[in-house]
Order: sequence, then C-alpha cells, then structure tokens
Amino acid sequence: MSSGAVVEPGVLDPEPLRPIEEEEEARPPSAWRTILGSLEGRIGLVFGAIMLGIIAFGRFFTPYSPTELGVGPQATGPSADHFLGTDNLGRDVFSRFLVGGDTIVLVPLAAVTVAFLVGGGLGMLGAYSRGRTDGLITRLFDLLLTLPPLLLVLVIIAGLGTSKVVLVLTVALVFVPRVGRIVRGATQAVVTSDFIAAAQARGERTGSILAREVLPNIAAPAIADFALRITYGVIFVATLNFLGLGAQPPKPDWGLMVAESRNFLSVAPWATLGPAFGIAALSISFNMIADALTRHLTREAARGIVPV
Amino acid sequence: MSAAIPVTQPEVEGSASIMRVDNLTVGYVRGDETDNIVVWEADFTLEPGAILGLAGESGCGKSTTALAAIGYRSPGAHVLSGSSRLGELDLLKLSTSQLRSIWGKRVAYVAQSAVGALNPAIPIGRQLAQPLVTHLGLHGQELRARQLELLEAVGLPDPPTALARYPFQFSGGQQQRIAIAIALSCKPEVLLLDEPTTGLDVTTQARISTLLRSLVSETGVAALYVSHDLALLGKVADRLAVMYAGEIVEIGAAADVSRRPRHPYTQALIAAIPNMDKPRNVAVIPGRPPSRVVLDACSFAPRCSYATDHTRENHPELLEVAPGHRARCFRVEEIAARPLAGSVLPIREAESEPLLDVIDVTCDYRSGRTTKTVLHSVSVTLRTGETLGIVGESGSGKSTLLRAVAGLHVPTSGSIRLRGEELAPRAVKRSRLVRRELQIVFQNPDSSLNPRHTVADLLRRPIRLFREDVSHRGEKDAMIELLEAVKLPRNMLGRYPSELSGGQKQRVAIARAFAARPSVLLCDEVTSALDVSVQATILELLADLSAHFGAAVMFVSHDLAVVRTITTRALVMKDGEVCEEAEIERLFDDPQHPYTRELLAAIPEPLVAAGAG
Repeated sequence: MSSGAVVEPGVLDPEPLRPIEEEEEARPPSAWRTILGSLEGRIGLVFGAIMLGIIAFGRFFTPYSPTELGVGPQATGPSADHFLGTDNLGRDVFSRFLVGGDTIVLVPLAAVTVAFLVGGGLGMLGAYSRGRTDGLITRLFDLLLTLPPLLLVLVIIAGLGTSKVVLVLTVALVFVPRVGRIVRGATQAVVTSDFIAAAQARGERTGSILAREVLPNIAAPAIADFALRITYGVIFVATLNFLGLGAQPPKPDWGLMVAESRNFLSVAPWATLGPAFGIAALSISFNMIADALTRHLTREAARGIVPV
Repeated sequence: MSAAIPVTQPEVEGSASIMRVDNLTVGYVRGDETDNIVVWEADFTLEPGAILGLAGESGCGKSTTALAAIGYRSPGAHVLSGSSRLGELDLLKLSTSQLRSIWGKRVAYVAQSAVGALNPAIPIGRQLAQPLVTHLGLHGQELRARQLELLEAVGLPDPPTALARYPFQFSGGQQQRIAIAIALSCKPEVLLLDEPTTGLDVTTQARISTLLRSLVSETGVAALYVSHDLALLGKVADRLAVMYAGEIVEIGAAADVSRRPRHPYTQALIAAIPNMDKPRNVAVIPGRPPSRVVLDACSFAPRCSYATDHTRENHPELLEVAPGHRARCFRVEEIAARPLAGSVLPIREAESEPLLDVIDVTCDYRSGRTTKTVLHSVSVTLRTGETLGIVGESGSGKSTLLRAVAGLHVPTSGSIRLRGEELAPRAVKRSRLVRRELQIVFQNPDSSLNPRHTVADLLRRPIRLFREDVSHRGEKDAMIELLEAVKLPRNMLGRYPSELSGGQKQRVAIARAFAARPSVLLCDEVTSALDVSVQATILELLADLSAHFGAAVMFVSHDLAVVRTITTRALVMKDGEVCEEAEIERLFDDPQHPYTRELLAAIPEPLVAAGAG
C-alpha cells in the first residue's frame, strides 16, 4: 500500500481466523482420558473393574453351591478346601462372596437413575418455572428431606414387604429431594441466561427448552452428582441388607453376610471380612472415579465446554 | 519537528516523580513451563497531582501492567524483569507481607466494580474505618472526623447517616464514590484506578471522572488510570499511554496523544469511537490484537494500513516524535498528516407506513408484595425500514420495552401491534409467522449463546423453525450463507462459543437473528459489551444487513454517540417514560428536554483523528 493511503475499511477480512498452531488452544481432553490420566481415576477404574468383574462373572466360578448347607465344617477360617473358610452353617464363604454382590450394584444403579429422572426433572421444572410451581416442588423436597432415610425405608418396607422393586423405589425416594435440590440449584444459574430468553422468544415449549438449552448446561454437576450418588447408594443398600430390610436369607448377599457372620468373627473372620471388603472396595473405587470425573467436569465447566 | 531518534535510556521526567516503572516485563507460565510474555519493557513515571492514562483494547495488557507495577502478582503471572520504584523501595522486590504494609497506605487501588469491592455485609463506616485503624491507628473522634471528611470529599450526601448504611443502600455511582473514599483514606502517594467508571451510566461516569480529576489535583496523589475509553482518558488524564500487545506504543501529554496521535493504532482507536461531529461514520480496525508480545515485527502490522515489508519484519522502538511524545512506529513522519477515513453508513429512508405499534404499554416487576412500575404507558411507532434508537440510562425501562415487544415480558396494560394486528403478550402464544418477524439480539453474547451448542446448532434452530423454504438438506448451505453475511469463515460452524472472540460471538448472535429473515430486529445494547474497535464492525454489519434484508431495527443503547451513528430517529427515556422523540439530527442539534441536554453534555467531547481538522 502506498504511503499515506487512506484506510479503506472492508479491504481486509474484518476478523481473520487465528492460525491454529499459534493461538488455538487444543480441544480439551475427553472425560475418559482425564480419568485415566489421574492416579485416583486409574486406581478407581482398576478396582472398580475387578469388583464389577467378580460381581458379574463370579457366579460361574463358584467351587461350591453358595446356598448349600454343610459343604464343609461350621465356622472355620481359610483352608485348602475353603479359600475364605466357612460360615456358621457350613456354607463356603468364597462361593457366597462371588455371587453376593449383585444387589448392592444393581439396586443403587436403578434407584439413582429413577431419582435423577424424577428429582432431576422436578428440580429443573421448578427452577425454570419459578413462582408457585417452584414453591410447591421445593416444599415437597423439604418435606422428604425431613424424614430420616432409614426410618422412611423401614416404614415403607414394613408396609409393602421387601422386594427388589420396592427397594429400588424406596431408595430412589430417599434420593429424589437430594438430587432435585442439586439439579434445581444448577438450573437456577442457567435460566437467567439470555439464551433461555432467546429460546422463549422463538416460541419454544418448556420441554424443549429444558432438554435443549438447560440440560447440556447442567450436565456437569448432574453427572458428578450421579457418580457420587451411586457410592452413597452402594453403602445405603448394603446397610439395608445388613439390617435385614433388603435381601433375605438364604440369598447370599454381602450386607446380609456381614450381619449373619459377625457373631463368629473370631473363629471365621473371612465370613465377615470378605463381604465387608467387597462393599468397601466397590464404594471406594466408585468414589475415586466420581472424584476424578468431578474434577474434569468442573475444570471444563470453567472453560465453558463440556464434551462428556 | 525534531528528527526521530531511538530512546535507549529511559527518559528522565524530572525528579518529581513519585513512582517510576522501568523495563517492566511480565509473563504468564504456560502449560509447558515456558513463559507467554504479555507485557514487554513498560516504562512510565507517575507524578504527584497528575493522572497517567493507560489505554488499549481488552487483552492488551494494561491491567496486568498496572497491577504488576504495584507489586501485585496475579495468579500465574510473574515479573520477568524490571523495577517499580516508590521512593527508596522497589515494589517488585518486596515480600507479600512488606507489600501489605504499603498497599492501602501508600498505594491504593480502585477496582472496576465497587459492587464487588465493597463487602455487602458490613456498613460502609466500618469498611472506611478499616484502613484508618490498620495503617494510621486512628480511633474515637479523630476516626469519625476523618470518615466524615472523606465522604464529604467524594460528594456523598449526608455523610453522618451514610456511615451506618450498607453498600446495597447506595446506587452504583455512590458505591464507586465510597470505594474512592476508602482508597484515599490513608492519603496514599499512588492511586491505581482500574476502569473505575466502566459499567456506570454516562451521566454518572462524567460525574465520577470529574470528581477523580479534582481529587487528584487537590490531594496531590499520583494516579494511574486504566481504561479502554480513550475519549474519557483524553479528557481526564494529564499524560496518556496507549498499549498494544503488551507494549506501550504511544505515550505523551494527553492532549497530544488524543488530538495529534502519531501511532496508527491510536489513530485507528480514536477513529473507531463514534463521533458526533462525523455522524454515520464508522471506522473499523480490521483483525484483532495478538494475545502476547510480538518481538520480531511491528505487532500492529497485520492490522495496519501503513504496513510495509520492513514493518512486518522489524520491531520498532519507542521514538520521540515531539518533545515528551513518543510513538513506536517506523513511519511516524509519513503518518503524521494522514487522516483516517471511515466508511459512511447508508441512510435508509423510512417509509411512512407504520410496521410496529406500541400503544400505552405499562410494565411492572413484582417481587413479593411490592410492585415496581418500570414502564409508564409508553407509545412508540416503528416504521418499515427505519432504524429507531431508544436511549436511556439503566432503569429507564428501555430494555423492558424491548422485552415486551419480543414477548418476553407480559405488559400490565397496553397493546403491541404488528401491521395493525394485535400481538399476544407472550411469545409462545404468538403465531410462528409473528415470531419469525420479530427477532432479538441481546447485549452479551456470552449469555445469549448457549455455551454447549456449536455455531451450527445455534444457527440450525431458527432455520428449522422458521424457514420453510429451506429443506433439511439445504440447512448447511443456509448456515454458510448466514456466516458469510456476517463475514465469518464457514469453518466456524463446528466451534463452540467459548472458542470465539467477543466480536465473533456477537456476529453469530446477529446471524442467528437474521436466520429467520425478520422484518423487525430488536437490538438490546448489542455493542456495549464489546471493545470500541469491534463495536464499529458490528455497527457496520447491522446497518448493512438490515438494509439488505429490509428489516426495521429498534436499537436500544445507553450510548448517544452510537445511536447518532446508526439510527435515523430516536427516543430518549427516563424512569419508564419517553422524554423526547425526534429525528436524529433534531435531537442532537436542538434537544428540547432538559434530560436530553444533560445526556448530551455528559459525552466526552469528540476527539479528532490526526490531520482531519
């Protein structure tokens, strides 16, 4: 350009693209990679996979029938025949351990899913509609939160009897207000954004706004809470089984096994410690995965992108 | 004019300076442990009773420079070299605990947002007492006397009662006055002002900057005033430094720099400010600033209309162009007398036919049992093809009016008609055709674009809803066409908003609005979250597109100069009522309402780019 030329706007591209290698930040790593990249994520995944493997496939490798009485002597410690010893009824503890973990994985998974569908849906709807709807939903949550979880479950199971479906629904009921409040809080931060107003001005329906505009923006805290909630669920269901409110004898179940065998702790320690270890390992590994995931999601949320 | 000679030694500006910053270089640690240098060898001095203005677009390193100069280490940032001398001390070599005894006492800071700087749970009397007790050991009557004196000095009404009140009981401008009183409480030697009036209303902004000017002169404090607003700094500062890509590119007496700018960047910045004397003129700075210091070329070369191969391959020094006036440019001599011409926005002749009628609309906000009326039976008519400005300060009801038209706020009474047809108050109850015809663009694209949607997602939705002429297969072409209309490259489609700059985001928001082919475009402060250089491009784009698609525009803004640039007719609103409505020339040349005159008086007088006078 000759010296002193008058600036002519529009000659250059007004905002040329940044050269990628120079300023473009690389796309953030996926959730999966971040979890694998952190030590606790790796430990959690390895242990979680082992525990899930045992729970899923253990039933095909039982040396004895898990429910048959007197396959060995009563209440012994580990021996060559009985890897983890036997319980007070002479059942093989190792066989029972291999098949006894299914309830405490499946029930929490189903219950937390139900809790997210119901509680999360209500929480989103309340925060979005505000006013009377929100007041009603919040009161409902508050009411449920005032009931002590164990007492609530006790009353329901005493009334309806115990079954997997009842167990799932009651555990879900305990989680609904807790999930709902978190989802409602996350939604409240989103609904004041102008993109919600833009969607309303386009005439979108409430369901469409919640699903398209709100949900992707609250996915980060929701997923983090989901993962953590599973951990609580494992412990909670194990507790119910321990108290005899869940799985019923003679079904082999970790929580139930701890309850049945704890009187014989000194003579047959593994009848109690084995399933206790199983519960602990499962919940701790889930917790570590949840932590690694939460860290990833909060970091990405701060950058404004969540490729989950 | 003296020949341009490189200044190798920092210029001695007299021994009177209170603070002297030499060779300040700041970097941010990157992921791979190397440094991303964001401030390069900044030199400046602060003199008692004088204000040094520090100007530049966002991301030019002006706040980083100012904060580093007082020894503040922002997270991740570290000083690579340089010194900042306050008397006998080098602030860059002090420990945090030593700095703590200096900050608040000898060096004070006023942040952009007083709302964030004042503790909402503590009465302002106690917040004001804190530095006085900590640093000066005042108590009892003495303390109270000083508190009252300070509040009086910053012009807060009724100081004795004010002491017991909480921050939320004051307006934004009053809160900023309190923050200034706290900063001045210990009679500091240096006062750092970080965008102290940004975000305030024009009239408040004018009052606060006048107050600052007189306080600095009275107290003899040496002030560093950081702002993106060159027009404001030209008025309030004594000396002015312009930063670009982490370097000071021009420094000198404020009057020289703002009226006779010698660096092409300063010239372009000044030209980009909407100017009352050159109505309908927009000057665009192409491109965007680099995010770090460029040392192997002139950092402004990619955006500079005077760039040559020489300037693209060599780094210019800060040269003396006139006594006390330095600029970092190879071609200062040639540039001196060249005016920067912008382009002139086309004026569209409005047709007389009314398109949109707002008739006696009253809007309330209800919270609990209290009802606040923000719009008192306002009537407006928008004609086909016209660009109508709606001007007012915060709380004037201008945005509520727009939201009522968009169907986002249900009016308490009144009616809104499109081509004589009554519109339902809520958007969801309106017909698809009506929703298509009324499109809205919001102030802040960070809020109006869903951060979890790609540009393609954002554009596809209105196309799918409103464009019956576009088949599913044709959507991509329609999206690319829209991007081209807003001058964005097509590979933007896969990006998320967080991967775009502020100006690019607002273009996407505009593209989304035009995707529906509206006949009325509602613009709510669409440029006020943007840099002045970006603002010009957005204004030009809006004018072009609305002319091209034949859309009438309702343009809400607090900035009269912007309204002067883009609209043909405007109304001035205050406290929910229309004060004045007139053709744009009439409104500016012959304002009838006292409030309009007050608004006009608050605008900093226009700066004239080099040689244009």
